[in-house]
Amino acid sequence: MPTDIGSILIQLFSGLSRAMMLFLVSSGLSLIFGVMNILNFAHATLWLLGGYLTYTLFQLFSNTFGDHALLIVPAIVIVTGIMFVLGWVLERVLIRRMYAREVPEQLLLTFALILIFGDLIKLIWGVQNRRIFLPIEPIAVFDSYVNPYFFVIIAAGFGVAGGLWWFLHRTRYGKIVRAAVYSRDMVSALGIRIPTIYAGVFALGIAIAAFSAGVFLPIMPIGLGLDMDLIIQCFAVVVIGGFGSILGTFVASIIVGIVYAFSIFIWPGGALAIIFLILVAVLIWRPWGLFGTEMRY
Amino acid sequence: MTSSAGKSKKKGSINGLYRQAGLTGTIALILGIGFLLVPLLPGEFPVIVAVEILILGLFAMSFNLIYGYMGQISFGHAAFFGLGAYATALMFRAFQGATGEIGYLDFFLSLLSAVPVSAMGALVVGFFCVRLTGIYFALLSLAFGELVFYVVFSWYGFTGGDDGIQGLMPPPFFRDTVNYYYFTLAIVAIAVVVLWRITQSPFGYSLRMLRENQQRAAFLGINVRLCMLVNFVIAGTFAGVAGALWGPFQRSVSPVLLGWTQSGIPVFMTLIGGASFFGGPMVGSVIYTALNSYVTRFTMYWPLTIGVIILFLVLFVPGGILSVVDARMAAYRRRRESDADISAGSADGREGVQ
Amino acid sequence: MSRKILEVTGLNKHFGGLHAVKDFNLELFEGDSLAIIGPNGAGKTTLFNLLTGYHKVDSGSILFGGMDITNRPSHEIARAGISRAFQITNIFPKLTVFENVRSAVQTQMGKAFDVFGRADKIGTEETENIVDLCGLDKRIRIVAGELSQGDKKKLELALALAGKPKLLLLDEPTAGMSLEETRETMILVDRLNEEFNLTVLFTEHDMAVVFNHAHRVALLHNGEIIVVGTPEQVRMNETVQRIYLGEDA
Repeated sequence: MPTDIGSILIQLFSGLSRAMMLFLVSSGLSLIFGVMNILNFAHATLWLLGGYLTYTLFQLFSNTFGDHALLIVPAIVIVTGIMFVLGWVLERVLIRRMYAREVPEQLLLTFALILIFGDLIKLIWGVQNRRIFLPIEPIAVFDSYVNPYFFVIIAAGFGVAGGLWWFLHRTRYGKIVRAAVYSRDMVSALGIRIPTIYAGVFALGIAIAAFSAGVFLPIMPIGLGLDMDLIIQCFAVVVIGGFGSILGTFVASIIVGIVYAFSIFIWPGGALAIIFLILVAVLIWRPWGLFGTEMRY
Repeated sequence: MTSSAGKSKKKGSINGLYRQAGLTGTIALILGIGFLLVPLLPGEFPVIVAVEILILGLFAMSFNLIYGYMGQISFGHAAFFGLGAYATALMFRAFQGATGEIGYLDFFLSLLSAVPVSAMGALVVGFFCVRLTGIYFALLSLAFGELVFYVVFSWYGFTGGDDGIQGLMPPPFFRDTVNYYYFTLAIVAIAVVVLWRITQSPFGYSLRMLRENQQRAAFLGINVRLCMLVNFVIAGTFAGVAGALWGPFQRSVSPVLLGWTQSGIPVFMTLIGGASFFGGPMVGSVIYTALNSYVTRFTMYWPLTIGVIILFLVLFVPGGILSVVDARMAAYRRRRESDADISAGSADGREGVQ
Repeated sequence: MSRKILEVTGLNKHFGGLHAVKDFNLELFEGDSLAIIGPNGAGKTTLFNLLTGYHKVDSGSILFGGMDITNRPSHEIARAGISRAFQITNIFPKLTVFENVRSAVQTQMGKAFDVFGRADKIGTEETENIVDLCGLDKRIRIVAGELSQGDKKKLELALALAGKPKLLLLDEPTAGMSLEETRETMILVDRLNEEFNLTVLFTEHDMAVVFNHAHRVALLHNGEIIVVGTPEQVRMNETVQRIYLGEDA
């Protein structure tokens, strides 16, 4: 184990920022499964698509208005909106047809979406990695340097977590969504239009994922294949936390992010093996996850 | 099974054949003849594709023992395919001397080593998985699959990590693609016959009972978990046999063989062909693997093409291609029969899985 | 009296705050035919679930043929010789009637794990006998899920018989049956009881069925046995008339 506080801090920052990304992508995944019982394998591919769109929009803005770091903000906002619409359309056109189907068929459909969107990305952006360079000076923390953008990321993660919590617990629609996790029949008995809720939840999940892809662009280059690694880690997060529980997803993200970062001290390269060992243990001990409720199976 | 052994009026036609042998027999005959004739096609490419079809088809059929027959979804089935492939590859490397050559006996021993290794792997993973059902069974198998994947991926000293193991050159006779093809065909054919016997055995029907109604099966005296575990090990072992054949053909193995995308392959093949038919996964493999290979040849953008095809199949052919064939044949036969004589009182009861 | 086959002592089961089965005691003798009656929620199905190992008992013991089967797994209890037919039909819907029964017969024969045999060659004679006995001989090729409600109940009984039980538990065996089917089924149950000396424990709503076919009747109320006796004794019992037969008594 390292003794200097600087390298521990760096791992902590790195772990936390990874945790934030996992949370942002997994929260939508968890919500979608909790409400509609659909495992969306294409979630991270749509996340990737959001990242590429943000990249292109940022380049476009930079070429039009000149280089300015803050142009990333409108780019992210617009892409989040576009992906919300895309999510809505996908739910209405495709996902909706799968609710009554068996789990493997649902997986097959979302897997087809991975192939389609993955290839579209390759068609449009090619196979090069993309990232956004922002002129940010690292700041010194003890003996090490930390990119201050980490604070933006952590703020974004906590901001979305707080926003989601507020939406789910303090707004009428949020309460309906939460109720839908527990009992669909009750919600439809209340005379609420379930199809709209479903489309909304799916679109919201995709939009949050796209948002996170944009936020991470300045520190993480995106490329093809990244979605496949991410989705499987997000499944781990969602299952550890418990389907449909935002708090669970948040806690699990932090556990996974921190374990990932600090495993470098015990078993470099073995981070994901450790994480899946944790997942296996959780599934054996509490299949419904740390914060989930034992109900459906 | 599906059709009674009635007197067929039109022997020779597929429908006549179907009446006599049932869907499974018809498929077996068509595929069998097809596979035997593949090397007559021009070029080496069809043979290469056919080897992959056979190996992945066996992999998918082993998966369907868990899915179609037992009613659970294993989403980590590639772990056993990969364990089989790695067992063979590691034995290969151990037998290969400084010259890189391997004898025939060593070659067969390498292949055989896949059986105990994948069976042991399936026993350990299955021990935990059979405590769960439904989505949790699927998730735990996925988690174990990824765990095995990352262990192999990170353990450079033993498995070569993400580089995999290269230079698996089989003995001279098996270096020839056509020879290796017939060898694979023989092994897969034997495996398929054994699988068929299993599905038609009392144990095969115990599996169907578990699929339909676990609780009732327990009340009838079946030890549900043990039954699931035995099947899990059988399925894992056959996946391991398929995996063993992969490395010497491709001359290398890599961790991708154990990952979740590899686990997806038998799921998709089975759904495409039809999970409720014994031959469904193999038919799915023919379609999926051939599409994969040939579309890749003609366009850079094969995932897009395959994605669209899968999307179409999921949306419009939910029971798999064989269910459409089965329904068509049944309708055709019924029409013919009602034309001929309208005396048949007992309609053929259609069965869940053949 | 003949040999004691089932002895239940001090059985208790709680679900949260609900005391579903209360200090339940019961003795059954070989060849007995006991009907358990009682209003909905009296604990009849819970009792069956305890006897067949579906629920764990909180306290008490269940002896079957002298063997302690308390809290044993369902499949072991089934192998010991207790078969159960369910109120809500609990069959294998995608298998044919014949396959349903044949699979159950093969399980009874200890062939559930036979990987090498051929399912269509094992236990077929036995299967045919049971199918005939239960009046399903004309339905053998039909997929069970497509049977009529009455035929499903017959199949339910056939599955229970396939286990070659010493004790047969029937949960509402005639629910959902037509009058004719009810008559046929109960004649079959009587035959099993008399000719094959099979011990039968059943619950039933239809009082005509209960009083015409059971040797003994027990009234269960709020998880407790209120009274046990011959149909005549139970019919005349004041408590029974008050709590079970209703206000008109």
